[in-house]
Amino acid sequence: MSMSESYYLKQQDTEGRVEARAKVTGKGKYAAEYTVDNLCHGVLVGSTIPSGRIIAIDTEQARQVTGVIDCLSHQNRPLIPGFSSAEKIKESGFGLPIFHTDKIHFKGQPIALVIAETLEEALYAAALVKAEYEEAEFDIDFDKKRQEIALQESGKERGTLEAWKQAKHVVEQSYSIKAEVHHPMEMHATIAAWTAEGHLELHDKNQGVNNVQQVLAGLYQIPKEQIHVVSEYVGGGFGSGLRVWPHVLAATMAAKQVNRPVKIVLTRPQMFVSTGYRPASWQRIRIGADEQGRLLGIHHQAMNGTSTYENFNEGITRVTRLIYDFPNLKAESATVPLHMNTPTWMRGPGDCTGDFAVESAIDELCYTMQKDPVQIRLDNIASVNHPDNKLPWSTHFLKECVTQGAKMIGWEKRSSQPRSRTDGDWHVGYGMAVGMWNASRGKASAAIRMTGDGHMVVQTAMTDIGTGTGTGMLNIAHDVTGIPKHQIHIELGNSNLPPAPSQGGSTGMSSVSGAVVAVSNALKLQLAQYAAKSNPGFNGVSADEVMLSADSITLPDKANVRIAYTDLWANNLLGQIHVEATSEPGEERKKYAFCSSAAHFCQVRVHQKTGKVKIDRMVCVADGGTVINQRAAANQMSGAAVGGIGMALMEEQFVEHKLGGLIADDLAGYHFPVNADAPIVEVAFIGKPDPNINPSGAKGLGEVGIIGTAAAISNAIYNATGKRLRDLPMTPDKVLLATPS
Amino acid sequence: MRPFEYVKPKDSKEALRAKTPTGAYIAGGTNLVDLLKKNIAVPHQVLDVTQALSDKITLKRSGIEMGAMVRNTTAAINPTILEQFPLVSKAILAGASPQIRNMASIGGNLLQRTRCPYFYDTSLPCNKRAPGSGCGAYNGENRMSAVIGYSADCVAVHPSDLCVALAALDATVVVQDAQGKKRSILFKDFHRLPESAPQQDNTLPEGALIREVYIPKNAFHKHSAYVKIRDRDSYAFALVSVAAALQLDGNRIVAARLASGGVAHKPWRWLAAEQFLAGKETNATVFAEAAALAVQDVRPLAHNAFKVDMLKGAIETALQEALQA
Repeated sequence: MSMSESYYLKQQDTEGRVEARAKVTGKGKYAAEYTVDNLCHGVLVGSTIPSGRIIAIDTEQARQVTGVIDCLSHQNRPLIPGFSSAEKIKESGFGLPIFHTDKIHFKGQPIALVIAETLEEALYAAALVKAEYEEAEFDIDFDKKRQEIALQESGKERGTLEAWKQAKHVVEQSYSIKAEVHHPMEMHATIAAWTAEGHLELHDKNQGVNNVQQVLAGLYQIPKEQIHVVSEYVGGGFGSGLRVWPHVLAATMAAKQVNRPVKIVLTRPQMFVSTGYRPASWQRIRIGADEQGRLLGIHHQAMNGTSTYENFNEGITRVTRLIYDFPNLKAESATVPLHMNTPTWMRGPGDCTGDFAVESAIDELCYTMQKDPVQIRLDNIASVNHPDNKLPWSTHFLKECVTQGAKMIGWEKRSSQPRSRTDGDWHVGYGMAVGMWNASRGKASAAIRMTGDGHMVVQTAMTDIGTGTGTGMLNIAHDVTGIPKHQIHIELGNSNLPPAPSQGGSTGMSSVSGAVVAVSNALKLQLAQYAAKSNPGFNGVSADEVMLSADSITLPDKANVRIAYTDLWANNLLGQIHVEATSEPGEERKKYAFCSSAAHFCQVRVHQKTGKVKIDRMVCVADGGTVINQRAAANQMSGAAVGGIGMALMEEQFVEHKLGGLIADDLAGYHFPVNADAPIVEVAFIGKPDPNINPSGAKGLGEVGIIGTAAAISNAIYNATGKRLRDLPMTPDKVLLATPS
Repeated sequence: MRPFEYVKPKDSKEALRAKTPTGAYIAGGTNLVDLLKKNIAVPHQVLDVTQALSDKITLKRSGIEMGAMVRNTTAAINPTILEQFPLVSKAILAGASPQIRNMASIGGNLLQRTRCPYFYDTSLPCNKRAPGSGCGAYNGENRMSAVIGYSADCVAVHPSDLCVALAALDATVVVQDAQGKKRSILFKDFHRLPESAPQQDNTLPEGALIREVYIPKNAFHKHSAYVKIRDRDSYAFALVSVAAALQLDGNRIVAARLASGGVAHKPWRWLAAEQFLAGKETNATVFAEAAALAVQDVRPLAHNAFKVDMLKGAIETALQEALQA
């Protein structure tokens, strides 16, 4: 057993989040909550048409409102250097060139910003801004528009379609999913302020302060060091904070225009058209197996919606190449431009969409073959090599997840005959599905500042969007150094701190854990060097041999070698010790393939007369490598599973097809699950470290909790009712009207 | 939100006197605040009636009287209501969320506006919000819209759960007009059908206040149920809902009440089904026949044909649950 393994297997921390007290007492500030001197408020005005051109914007009435300072639009905005020509706008990759165009691409597109002394004044004045448009034709019906679009090859074809034409068992079906919106609890918000020296200070909600810095530096053509981004507390992201959106830029433009700090907080309806969404999608799958149930081939076609000004391909067929070793595989995809804002990554992006279709199709195939879905998974999962690049998996425990999940739910209680169990007016059924995600890792840095009282601060620029990153860092810093947890303080989400990648794609912990291990070891070695001056026992020791206690540096293998920090600091005239370290992926990426995975099981009840679906039990077993903090990790999984319930049963961004915009765009109209919709999710982990991915062995858990959930629920509904639902969300009306097959 | 004058009258007399033609009464504010924020209601004056109106629940010889300012939660957990009018509690608890119910008043519940999405977006046509602009939902996205009693001018549904129970129990609404005169309006006459004037939700006279809601004593307290089918299990408006109440003599139905939400511009009573049930034995076949009778007059729109089957299922389920209650 390696050092790191013995280290982390004992980890079963039960304390709460490092940021919990600050969050629940209100001491921790979200972007919009900072107090800034001389602050004024901006409110965005959205286009009321879906497509066309602005002829004129009339701000006269708005400007009459008490407290209004200015109104910004394409007619009077300060020019952003990165938007100074059509070519530059394209090159910037920013997407919507806010206030630098008169073209309307979607309803709700920001066309003006009212700036006033108070939020109330700005809100009122914003309602008085009038615009005159030249309207143009629009496309907003995804299902209609996609029929005009041709599919294109998506990745290399494996084998041929011909090779399995005569497969004994074949399923061919179409699947569709309505667009979903992230809706983190905290609304996106930015406070922008320019200093006299031309430096930009931002308090902003995002998932990566360095990304915000980089993007704005590019647009303003200033060194990124002149931009300071603070995102210390973030109230959820789910992918919505991985890009810099137009409202962030609007705040910086407004602050420049009025030469005062400006705050913009998006309203909930604005959140529907401002920070991306999971696009609507259509998929067609043809899948075949031989007599023994060995998967022979898959043909996966997929399309997703995008905007007319950017192309966003969700990557729906990626997961098809990951889980099973199909000897023959053909994948095609296309995007469908619509008059909507650009979609973006949303939890489990692409994979959770594709996985719904693949795992539903395999379930259908199982019924056709009269085989057990659990057994078919165990027989076909590619557990040795990555099916595409043939690299050996560094670690792969999906089959173990399946076996353990089946045991936990009591899979043997499932009837292989659909629609065969009832409880009063309810049909009862079981379903399962698996999910997988490429486990990536980015380059990250961390610093430690330590004082002679044995207290230290661990710092990184990475944001903690609610995933428990700070808590994980605390656990690692404590484990590696030995310093008691109450003497360790965590600082995050500030671009002045050592750089780190954005928190997304399940890479946060995987990236930052390496940096924290490295910097913790660097601290130990630095202290040992000072200690060696007065005690030769510390000469030439390795980081593993040194431990730090509450008040001293020690060598655990030599009981009497110990120096108190007070002496160490006094002897060496130390103030604050500062160490910084960087950790990044290397050669291991060429030798191995890395994945996180999960198996989802559920037991559902479906009401015969009303179509109501109740999820009685949900089991989720995951392999994310080392579990650094049990509670935070379990919280990731159950949160994602509840997101999967939303995807399966209720989440839908409603489109007004005739008039060309969204409707029901508030939280009364857009339903995501509440506690009443979800059982207590039963979560378990394989918990085995991945020895190659990074020093902590943690692979990341953000996505796999949702990849497969929707299929597991749909498969359970089929088992309960004999109704195969291939369109998400499976609202009661669809469930009720579907015919048993 | 347009700036407005805020006044807080001490009593109903002062409230009625202080109100200007462009004023709006506010109680719990759980709907009006939304309407203010979205520039759908643009009053120049907001009159806070939380002190002006009664928050008492009084059991009288012939029925129960709820002051207009009784909070929804207070009514739902009131021991007398739970014992003698449990349908009222069941309906309230099926609506909104605990936080909203804690704020929302009984009077305000009756006066809440539709949740039709066209009504809530000032860039869309809606005759209820902007008379003459057309009904966006009639030929548009109408999954949540009415299936009975609508007109081409409006297909909105009334969003209340409480009102479905009040309709079933033949409540009356005590109102006081601008001149201070009090009178009772039968619940069935309180809410309107849209016809060609959907901007008028109800028959409350201009400037008048709801003072009390009164429910006559009944023999339905032993067997009542409220079934609400919705896209999620809390804080969602009904796809369809059914209030069912039975008065039984052994296995025989003496009298039945059936009402629905999510189907019409007002809480809808299924009178033919009620009459059919009276005198019948309680069994699944009878319930299914009653449900079939109810839905035979339903005329769904392009996107809500499902409401026919769902309503039928919900009526059967509600009757079954009432029987077992």
